[in-house]
Formats: sequence, C-alpha cells, structure tokens
Amino acid sequence: MIDPFQTLGVEARFDLDPDELARRHRDLSRALHPDRYAGAPAAERRLSLSRAIEVNDAFRVLKDPIRRAEALLRRAGVPVGETAEPKPSPDLLMEMMERREELGDARRRKDLVAVRALTEAIRVREREVLASMGRQFAVSDPDSTKLAVVLPELGELRYLRRFLDEASAIEEELTT
Amino acid sequence: MALLEIFDPKAAPRPIGIDLGTTNSLVARVRDGKPVVIADCNAEKLVPSVVHYDPRGRVIVGADAQRLAVDFPRETIVSVKRFMGRGADDPETRRLGTYEFVEPKTPEEAKSVRFKVQGRAVTPVEVSAEILRVLRSLAEDELRSVGGAVITVPAYFDDAQRQATKDAGKLAGLDVLRLLNEPTAAALAYGLENQKNGLFAVYDLGGGTFDVTILLLDDGVFQVRSTGGDSALGGDDMDRALAERLLQDLGVAAENRPRELVRLALDTARKIKHGLTENDRVEAEIEVPGGTRKLAVTRDEFEALIKPIVERTGVACRRALRDAGVSAEELDGVILVGGSTRVPYVRQYVEKLFGKPPLCDLDPEEVVALGAAIQADILAGTKERADEVLLLDVLPLSLGLETMGGVVEKILPRNTTIPAGARQTFTTYADNQTGFDLHIVQGERELATDCRSLARFVLKGIPPMPAGLARLEVTFRVDADGLLSVTAKELTTGVEQKVEVKPSYGLTDEEVEAMLMAALDHGEEDLEKRQLIEARVEAERVVLATKKALVADADLLEGDEERARIDEALAGLEEAIRGTRAPIIRGRTEVLDEVTHGWAGRRMDRAIARAIAGKDVTSIESTVAKARGVEAHLAEHAGHNAPDGGASGTGS
Repeated sequence: MIDPFQTLGVEARFDLDPDELARRHRDLSRALHPDRYAGAPAAERRLSLSRAIEVNDAFRVLKDPIRRAEALLRRAGVPVGETAEPKPSPDLLMEMMERREELGDARRRKDLVAVRALTEAIRVREREVLASMGRQFAVSDPDSTKLAVVLPELGELRYLRRFLDEASAIEEELTT
Repeated sequence: MALLEIFDPKAAPRPIGIDLGTTNSLVARVRDGKPVVIADCNAEKLVPSVVHYDPRGRVIVGADAQRLAVDFPRETIVSVKRFMGRGADDPETRRLGTYEFVEPKTPEEAKSVRFKVQGRAVTPVEVSAEILRVLRSLAEDELRSVGGAVITVPAYFDDAQRQATKDAGKLAGLDVLRLLNEPTAAALAYGLENQKNGLFAVYDLGGGTFDVTILLLDDGVFQVRSTGGDSALGGDDMDRALAERLLQDLGVAAENRPRELVRLALDTARKIKHGLTENDRVEAEIEVPGGTRKLAVTRDEFEALIKPIVERTGVACRRALRDAGVSAEELDGVILVGGSTRVPYVRQYVEKLFGKPPLCDLDPEEVVALGAAIQADILAGTKERADEVLLLDVLPLSLGLETMGGVVEKILPRNTTIPAGARQTFTTYADNQTGFDLHIVQGERELATDCRSLARFVLKGIPPMPAGLARLEVTFRVDADGLLSVTAKELTTGVEQKVEVKPSYGLTDEEVEAMLMAALDHGEEDLEKRQLIEARVEAERVVLATKKALVADADLLEGDEERARIDEALAGLEEAIRGTRAPIIRGRTEVLDEVTHGWAGRRMDRAIARAIAGKDVTSIESTVAKARGVEAHLAEHAGHNAPDGGASGTGS
C-alpha cells in the first residue's frame, strides 16, 4: 500500500488543513494529469495516468477522516480494519441502536424535520470525536502502543458515518 | 491570415470540438485564440442529428434527412443518442418511437439495439458515426486537415454510453483525443477561469439528456465536485407529452396509430413548443386522414404538461448539491446549457431552485461545442497558456462488482475524481473452485439486477484449494475519458487476466476497422492512406514533444549514452515520417517510446517535485538536480521539517 501522505507530499498528521490539502492536490494534478501529456509518447501517457490515479486516490484517502486515521495507524504499525480492532463498547452499541430506531420512526412518519434534527445531532457528535482524535494523534503519533487509544474512537466514527449515510438516504427519499 | 490558412495545402492538422447532441450536433474550432462554431455553405451551424437511409443505399444526414422524417418514419432515425449503449431489450428503446427493430437471435446480437432500415440492421453507433462523418467533412472544408477531436457526452452517461460514443468517433475516422462532459465543456466556454475562483452549477437540459454539475473553479482548475442527472430526460419528453395530448385531441386511440401520424404529431408538438417560447398561444394545423385539423395550445396548458418533467430535474439538482456538500446560497453562479433551457418555464424553475437568475449570455445550443473546441486546443498543445487551465472531472455513477446474493459491492463511488483506481480483494466461496465469475456493474442500487451490467468475465485457472483460501484481487481503473478497464489477479498463484470493459455491445478494434473499411469507397487503399496519416500525426506529435523535452530537461539525461540513444531513435523516426509506410512509422515511434522511458519517469518526478515545492523553483532545482526521484526529495524535505519529532511541517 502506497503511503498517501508521501504521495501528496504532506506531513503525516491527523489535523491536516483541508485547504492546504486541496491546494496540493490541485498543484499535483496540474503537473500530472493525462491532459498535460496528451501529446507525449505512449509510455509517458501511461505513466501520467498511473501517477494521476495515485494522487487522486491519496487525496480521497486523506480527505476522509476515517481513512486518514487508518493510514496513520498503518504507518505506525497498528493493525486496522474492523476485525483487527477492539469490539465497540456496549454503551455505544446501545446508543446507536436507539438512534437508529428513532431514525426508522421518523422515516415511517415521513418526518423530515426529525430526520434532519437527528442528522445534526450526530454531526455535532462526529465533530467532537474528530477533535478528540486530533488531540490523541498529536500526542501519541508515532508510538504504536499509545496510538491504540484512538481505536475505540475510530470505531465510533465508523458507526456515526453509517448512521449519517443512512440518514442522508432517508432524507433523499423523503424529499423526492 | 485566415485565407492563407485555408488554402495552404500543407496545412497542419487542427483539433476540433464536437457536440454530438440528441437533436442537433455542432463542430467548433479555435481561431485566433477564440472558439467559433463552423458553419456550412448556407451559414447553418446546427446539423440536425437525423439520419435517413434511402432505398438506393444512400445515407442522408441533417436538415435534408429531417425533411424526410415525416414521410419515412421507419427509415429516418432521430434522437439516436437516446439509444447509445442500450441493449435490444432496454425499455427505453420501446418508448413512443416510430422505428422497427431487428429481433436479436443470439445473446451477442442482443447486446445492442439494432434498427431495421431498408432491410438491413444498423446500430446506434453506426448511425452516430454517420452524423460525425458529416461534421468531420464540414470541418475539413474549413480547415483542410482535421487533427484530433474532442467529443462531448452528457456527464451522466454511463460507461456503456461513453464507450459507444468513442466507438462512433473511431468509426467516423476521427482521432478521439478525449470524451468531455457537456457541463464541464460549457463552464470552459464561459471563460470562468478569468474570474479565478468560485462555485458554479451548470444546468444542462438538452433534447434527450439532463445533467447538473457543481464545480469549483480554483486558480484555473475546474474541479467538478458532483454531477447528477438523467440520461433519458429532455426536450424530447416535452414533445412526447405534448404529442400525446395532440393525438388525444384528434381522437386517435393509442392502439391504432399509424407511424406517420405519430411522427407528424411529434413534429407539430416540437414546433408548438418553440412557438410558445415567444407567444402565449400557438395554433397549428395537422393533416389527418379525412382532412386538416386545427389545434391550439396555450402556454399555461403546455406548462402544466411539462411540469412533472421539469420537476424531475430538481431531484437531481438537490442531490448534486448534497453530494458536493454545498447549499444553493453558496453558489456564485448558475449556467444554462441546452436548447430546452430556452423554454421560459424551465428558466423560471431554475431561478427558483437555485435562488438566483441563471447566466445565459452564450447561446445555450453552441456553448458545449465551443468548450469542446477549447479543450481540443488545450490537448493539442496549441492553446496559449494551456498549462493554466485544467479540467478535473468525476465518475458520474458508482462502479462495483456483484457479490454473493446478487448484492453490489461498490469499488469506486460516484463523484470520485477521475482518473481513478481502486483495488479490492475477494475470496472463493466453494472448495476447489477453479473459476471466479466477475460481474461488473454501474449504478447506485443495492442489487446488481437493478444496476447497469457492464461486463461479465471468468477468471480461470485457479488451482483447487479449500474455500476462502484463494485471494482474488480485482483492480478497477477509470481513465480521463471516464472509461473503465478491469484486471483480476489470483494472488496466491499469480494467475492474471485483464479485460477492457468493452461493455456488452461494445465493438472490438478489429470490428471497428472492418466497418471502417466497408464504409470507405475504396476500402483497403483508403484505409492505408488514413493509417499513414494517423501514424504520421502521432509520430510528429511525439517528435515535437521529445525535442521540447530535450531542451527543457537535458540535465535529467543519464550521461551521453542515453542522449545518443534518444538522438538515434529520433533521427530514425523522422526518416520514417518522410517515407510512406505506416507500420515502420509506428514501429519507430515505439522505439523512441522505449528509449525515453526512464528519462520520462525522471521528468515526471521533477514535475511532481516542482508542484510540491510551489513557485520556489530555485530551491527545488538544487534539491532534485541529481534527479533521485520524488521519494528522495520528500525524505529530505521531511528531514528539514522534523528535526525533533516533527511538530512543524508542510501542512501548516
């Protein structure tokens, strides 16, 4: 697996400045995009395509906090992926179950306001978790034993993301 | 200047941009730095996308074909774009139309719908190629020699529809430089890059397709944030709705409609629609068996009919905004594209939807072709300051694989910036399974049967082992045209297979060549001539690029030996270009390719290093002077920034 931080030439840290990241992606695209090599020999065109794909892929990984965290953990040698990580706490599972039930109810009632309120509450929660993870990474990286403390938060983030995806699909369903 | 250009017999091939539309098609070029649509000898710019097949085997395209459409509804294909990339049993092909189709006898034949005209079967690719051929000759009349072409496609076209369009281009003898999304082309034509920054929506309602694209312009780079739409929604649907009303008014029962009358009703509906743009009420006469009937439609009535059609565009717009993570208020502007945006009700709807009056200072029917011409100019390297403008487009629909239970596993989600790639590992589910079925699909639905099926293939030759032990790695790659290729590899044994996802109905290169040959008057001889021209154009492009690079990046050559090899290959290719044998030119182009390979990699590393270092060229010159590649550069960079554990860095 190619290190996305290295591909984009940015420092490996969790709290990356999104504007800076976008600027770096833009500048690299300007240098590597296949359009730049439209008149070049075939081998060069192929090379530019591969490099552009790598850059786009790295950008996609680093833009997404979950995949960014995974990339950082992998660099530090911490195994990631849901099977390798600790099981989520019963409290979290219970809470998410309740939230999902509320979401299901809102869907049945076609209550768009309730769906949006639930979405907003989870978004707030997501921001809090992200901020906390940023602090954790800042003090622990790249110490793999210390870094393991962010794993529960990463797991939580995945639950929140799934909830938000589902809520977004329901919102779409209710507005069409 | 312009005259000299036209009559110079050694005129250099010039790039063109083509808008292959549902209703009308156009071809444009850049002249003196400005894009212009090429008109025919009657000063007509729009070529109606209508193809008529006459009993003597002649093919008539454009306005003349349109005139024949009412009398020969079976032999005259209109709106062929709606059929691109569609299978014989696609429901879209059976909607209110006037054609006869050839019933497929084999699964192979069922892959593409085929029209039955004058006793023969033609595919939408062949019909589209007829239109492109006319556009090509229109351009040749003005430019003498046509270089590469950029052809536009609806942003929401799936892989099958894109592939069909590219095949049509090849079949028309065009060197297709790029497929470009129509809304992106429009944004380019608007010259938004002069404003430097901003967030824009492009609302593109054409004859048969609807696209909405949200794009961010950032320092000359057009970054598409999201795209959405419906590749079967457009002005045609308004005509159909109105024609249906007219037929009802005439008292013609749905089950008893002569094709001629249906075509006439559609034609009349289109004229009434156009009339209602300026007037509140339009009257029309229609010839029916037994006499002439008068009909009248008011704008209010028409608007009530098209309301549900226009509202369908709103669904896609809201989703595109959500996917882009922006609200309508954040937009700096909305651009209108496509002939159907002339309908006043559509304009009012867009203004209400986005909360601001849309921009429409360019002709909505020309804007896409103009943008295509600009992109062609950029790709051909003739545009001034071409390196300042770049289009970063996205994948319109998710790509995935069918897994157990018919569920789709998404490999690349919609709105991923292209070119893109992704890899996923799967395993076997049965003991001693030696083959692995791969079904590649495109779409947002959860079940494979609800998505567009792009290709099926089997990875064979896996040695027998217990279930779950084999590791199958599937790699998806989407190029800058938005076209997919897939490779599958069994990791424990290294068995590898690659498929060009020539979706289902797609044509192989050999098939295209055979069809090309059949279409040319002198078959083989003409084909050879064409191949020679193509090989020369490509070779000259490569020679030019290599010479330029030798000036700019000579310091990255590894010693005199590498230089000597390149010089030798260059001289050999230039000699071949002066000759008349295409295979030799192609062979020597490959030789040059080969000997410049390593150097090309180093040059790309330098380009990356420059991009990372920003404008501070002098400092990176020293860093990469020895061209050790970007990794070495980055390692050094990191070293400078993180002397004690690395709290400071490039990110802040």
